Formats: sequence, structure tokens, C-alpha cells
Amino acid sequence: MALPKRAALKGPRIDGRRLRSQRTQQLIIEAYLALAGENSPQVPTAAQIAERAGYSVRSVFERFPDIHSLQVAAVDHALAQIAAPLPCHDAGADRETRIRSQVEGRGRTCERWLPLWRSLVVNQGESTELRQRVVSLRERVVERMESIYAPELSPLPAVERRHLLIVLEALTDVESWARMQEFFGLSFEEACAAWVQAIDRLLPPTPAGS
Amino acid sequence: MTAADDTSTGNSSLAAAAPVPRIDGRHLRSARTKQVIIEAYLALLRENPQVPTAARIAERAGYSVRSVFERFADLHALRVAATDYALARGNAQAAAGDVAGNREARLKAHVETRAGICEQWLPLWRALNANQGDSAELKSRILLVRQAILKRIELMYGTELATLEEREHRQILIAIETLVDFESWAHMREHKGLSFAEACAVWIHAIDRLLPPTPVS
Repeated sequence: MALPKRAALKGPRIDGRRLRSQRTQQLIIEAYLALAGENSPQVPTAAQIAERAGYSVRSVFERFPDIHSLQVAAVDHALAQIAAPLPCHDAGADRETRIRSQVEGRGRTCERWLPLWRSLVVNQGESTELRQRVVSLRERVVERMESIYAPELSPLPAVERRHLLIVLEALTDVESWARMQEFFGLSFEEACAAWVQAIDRLLPPTPAGS
Repeated sequence: MTAADDTSTGNSSLAAAAPVPRIDGRHLRSARTKQVIIEAYLALLRENPQVPTAARIAERAGYSVRSVFERFADLHALRVAATDYALARGNAQAAAGDVAGNREARLKAHVETRAGICEQWLPLWRALNANQGDSAELKSRILLVRQAILKRIELMYGTELATLEEREHRQILIAIETLVDFESWAHMREHKGLSFAEACAVWIHAIDRLLPPTPVS
């Protein structure tokens, strides 16, 4: 039996050129993220990014009109990874397990993204796009805590709940993590233990049956 | 009795006999000019987080750019001098706490003092962090500020912290230090729109929860 001709096959058309372009874009973003991490909070130059990605400076500017657009795209890339669904197997667990799970997840995120976060905060300047992303990142952290500590937070009056979330957010800030390691010299485990202890003291008692 | 008290009594014989330090008018004027330049730098930072240029500082201070650089080798030296000035002022402000009061009074005194310092010195703190780069002088001052904040916490809540074993003591100290950080204050004020009093209440409530019970004496 004769095989059907390629043209006769029905399926999504794969545009090789477009795929290659996307791949290049991705490599440029990854080069930017690597350099931003290494040199934080300095923004890498187009020449450095091009060299690291293995392309010409022209290639960089063919995909991104300026460094600011590249910054925004890189932050979105990082945001997508940070916001990737976290394991929710601990959502219904007991208080101790939930605190430990949230703290360790947050600790790992801080550990990984601290240089980029610093670069983002220092270089956001007047950029509405970058500022929005800083706000969005903060909101996600708060939403996550609101969800994981719902049993303890939901019985609180609205103002008290809001204030406690502000405190929890400040406590688990990226710079707070950095200070525990850089200023106080704590290991990952010690820093997690400090956060666990503080969150446990800050949260109201868990209602029975939760 | 102090030297200041002697002068106030108008005891002329004592005044004549004591060696009077020679007042160098030129030196005094130069110190005053320096002070005005530092204050101009700080005022500009409060208005705009971007590091002001020498021309803007000179204009605000009412001197020439040359005058600025006659007193400070470069803008970095001015930054260091402004930081030292702020540190001295901040230390004086922090010292005014109710160290011996009951738990509630100490919480209130500590938080309100710390909040006042954050409110006043946040722009300089941000500039200091943003411009520290590889400057050992600025880094050492950042360290000094952090150490002073920690010492103040230990002083204010020594009674409660002393009841904890070492590890827990350190953890709670770190948590309180994090909580009363400049950026934590800024976040409440700039992003969450809390008033001074509301933001103080948030800190007081949180520190109260973090601290162990006050031992009965």
C-alpha cells in the first residue's frame, strides 16, 4: 500500500523558521536571566547577552526592540516558573505540615530568584510594566499564604486578617531570606526553622476540626 | 556641676581662669557649610529617590559646585558623611525609648521610635543600599545600622527574650528585626496605604505575638 503523500497529511503546520525564532528568543531570555543573576543588580548589556546566548547583538534586537522589553519578557518567563502549580498535597494537612511546606517552598523560590528579584527592584525605575510585575509577584505570595493558612486566617475579622497577611508577607520577603543567610549566616534549614517558628507564633490557633 | 552649668551661673572669675578654647571662625563656617550641603543632599533624596547631582546639591545648599567639592572629595564622600550624620541623628532618636516600662509601654515606645526613624530616613537608607556597590565604607555603615536595630530589640525586649533558649531567642530576634525593617515599613505605608498609627498597630500586634509571655517578677 502506498504511503500518503506529505501534502495530503492533515495536521498542524509546523513553521520551522518560527520555531527557530522562538528557540532563539528563549535562549536570549535564558542568557539574560543567567547574567542578571550573576551580576545582580546590574543589568547586562546587549553585547554580554548576545555573547552568552551565542548570537549577534543584531539577533537580540531583532527579537526585542530594546533591553527593557527583554527585561520584561525575562521577568514573565521567571514569573511563569515561580507561579507553576505548587504541590497541593499539603493543602489539607495539619498546621505543622502546612507551615513547613509553605516555608520550604518559599525558601527555595527565594534562593533561586533572589538575584533576579534584586535586579528587578533596583531597575524597575519608572517602568510601569516592571512595577506591575513586582506587584503581581507580591500578590501571588500573599494569595498562596491566604490559601495555605485559610483555616487559621478565615475566622479572623477582615482588618486583622489583612494586617496579619501584611506581617507574613514582610516576614517571608525575598530580602528577609537574603538577610538570614547573608547577615545572620543561617543555612537553608536554619533559615526555614526561623520562619517556621515565627509563622507559628504569628498565626492564631487552628480551629478544631480543620 | 558641668562646664555648661558654670557658664550659666555667670561666674566671671572662673571663666577668666579657665583656658578658653580658641574659636576659629573660619573653621566654624566651613563646618556649617558642610552641614548645609549634607542637609541639602538629604532633602533632595527625600524628594526624589534618584541620587542628586553635585549641581543640584550645590543649588539647594546655596553654594557653588566648587564649594561642594572643596568640602567633599567626591559624591561618594558626601554620601558617607550624610550617612554618618543620619546615623548620629538616628541613634539619638532611638535612645528616647521607655526601656523600663511594662510590656505594652515598651512595645509602643520601640515601635513608634522605630517607625519615626523609618519615616524620616527611608530615602537615605534606600540610596545607601542602592549605591553601596563595592564601597567598604557604605557596607560597614549598613552593618552598623542593622546591629543597632538588633541591639535596640534586645534592649527593649530583654525581659521576654531572656526566657527563651538560645536558638529560639535568635529566631525571634531575627523575626522582629525582619518585621521592623525599613522596607517593611515602606510596604505598609506606600503599597498598603496604612496610616502611621495603623502601621504602628500592625507592628505592635505582631511583635506582641512573637514575644513569649513576660515573666512575672
